[in-house]
Amino acid sequence: MNMQLFVNGIVNAALIAPPAIAFSLLFGVMRFPNFAIGGYITAGAFAAYAFNVQLGLPLLASAVAAMALTGFIVWLSDIIVFKPMRGHGPVTLLVVSIALTLILEHIIRIIYSAEVRGFDIPLQRPVKFAGIRITYEQMDIIALALAVAVATHLLLRFTNIGKAMRATADNPVLAEVRGINTGLVIGFTWLFCGALFGLTGVLAGLDLVIEPLLGWNLTIPIFAAAILGGIGSPYGAMLGAVMVGMAEELTVLVLPSSYKVGVGFMIIAVLLLARPHGLLGQPEIRK
Amino acid sequence: MADALLKVTDVCAGYGRGDIIHEVSLEAHAGQIATIIGPNGAGKSTVIKTIAGVLRRRTGSIIVDGQEIGGLGASDVARRGVSFVPQEANVFRQLTVTENLQMGAWTDRANYSERLARVHGLFPVLKERATTRAGNLSGGQRQMVAFGMALMVDPQVLLLDEPSAGLSPVMVEQMFDTVREVNATGIAVLMVEQNAIQALRISHHGYVMAAGQIVLADNAANLLDNEEVSELYLGTRA
Repeated sequence: MNMQLFVNGIVNAALIAPPAIAFSLLFGVMRFPNFAIGGYITAGAFAAYAFNVQLGLPLLASAVAAMALTGFIVWLSDIIVFKPMRGHGPVTLLVVSIALTLILEHIIRIIYSAEVRGFDIPLQRPVKFAGIRITYEQMDIIALALAVAVATHLLLRFTNIGKAMRATADNPVLAEVRGINTGLVIGFTWLFCGALFGLTGVLAGLDLVIEPLLGWNLTIPIFAAAILGGIGSPYGAMLGAVMVGMAEELTVLVLPSSYKVGVGFMIIAVLLLARPHGLLGQPEIRK
Repeated sequence: MADALLKVTDVCAGYGRGDIIHEVSLEAHAGQIATIIGPNGAGKSTVIKTIAGVLRRRTGSIIVDGQEIGGLGASDVARRGVSFVPQEANVFRQLTVTENLQMGAWTDRANYSERLARVHGLFPVLKERATTRAGNLSGGQRQMVAFGMALMVDPQVLLLDEPSAGLSPVMVEQMFDTVREVNATGIAVLMVEQNAIQALRISHHGYVMAAGQIVLADNAANLLDNEEVSELYLGTRA
């Protein structure tokens, strides 16, 4: 097997994993697929660009600031857009979220134009090892994806707010009955997921280029990873990200690379036919 | 008699536009069990859900320990010492048994380990299956988790919606024993039951509901002896 493709696949997976986890968490608590993730990620990338290039902050500080700002924007999008629409069906909210992503993308386009940009970071030679080429940024992406996966696991398993998130996703009425303030839990979930989308914007900006379609282009693989793992299951999302990330790169062996973007769609199509609740998801129980 | 711990006065509530329950008034006293019986669709569960804040009352007052809780949401009602066990979907299926019990202690995490020990004492199987997801338990065990969760705080008022539903006869008996045990610690219990005779036997007071209204209120022994009640609601006509 071509080891370079394998490494590319890992990097790709690492890029997809944090937003797929966030997408899944958000779905679990809010019960609709939020396609505004493209807009959120792009907002995160441009926020980091503004802090890094326009304000001259170091990249790390810019990334942290971008995560905070994106978390806030994502939380605000719930307050302004989704909260007034609670009680509407998931399909309505899905359409609304697509509209939101277009609005976010075009606001960014108005401010920054469609020009391709990059962060202000020193160019470094990629590391070469046994014929495999990997950049320092890509190593950062892998390390951060692992950190996000571990942090999310610790959050969900061992903290009160994390358990409350799982309880609220599982049974919101019972969560209220047990005294959990689900409004606060929902607010925290938007903030946390928003920060992950912000981080993804920064990482995607490092690996690719910063432009208004940055997030949109990642939406399908993220969605595919989330539903492959079983939507609403953050652990499934991690697994799904690895599989989609690898599949996208490895199909280059058998298909022209221009078909790469279709891989996510194919995975979604096959899954919806064969196993609609994903690999680790629970089948929906309807009465 | 001391003032009622839970005092419901002239409460109307329902879904959508119509009211399901009309001017319901009832009481539950510390250390006593009150049971609402009545045919299906009489609005028994609606009464208990309204007290728990799952459903908002339209008019009337709900007072717990001297404080008005009518109009509060479920999580605020829980914080006022009212612990509610719903009939259905009453466990967090994806969470382990122990995590469920931790959620039960959400409003009051003091004395967590003592309370956990108490719940384990009442339902030893919950200790054995501590790390099992609640969704993978049997119906009876799930009911124990649901009940155990409600006991992870020291509630003033315990609301039980059909605690015996779906349980085997042996388990029903056990469940009622547990209700009595818990009640003996001074908690006011209000429950809704299909198993009317067994429920009234452990109760101090009984309310008979029909068509959204309380049509009869008496002490439980009298209701068990009341011929009309037996005939209509207890199914004991010889």
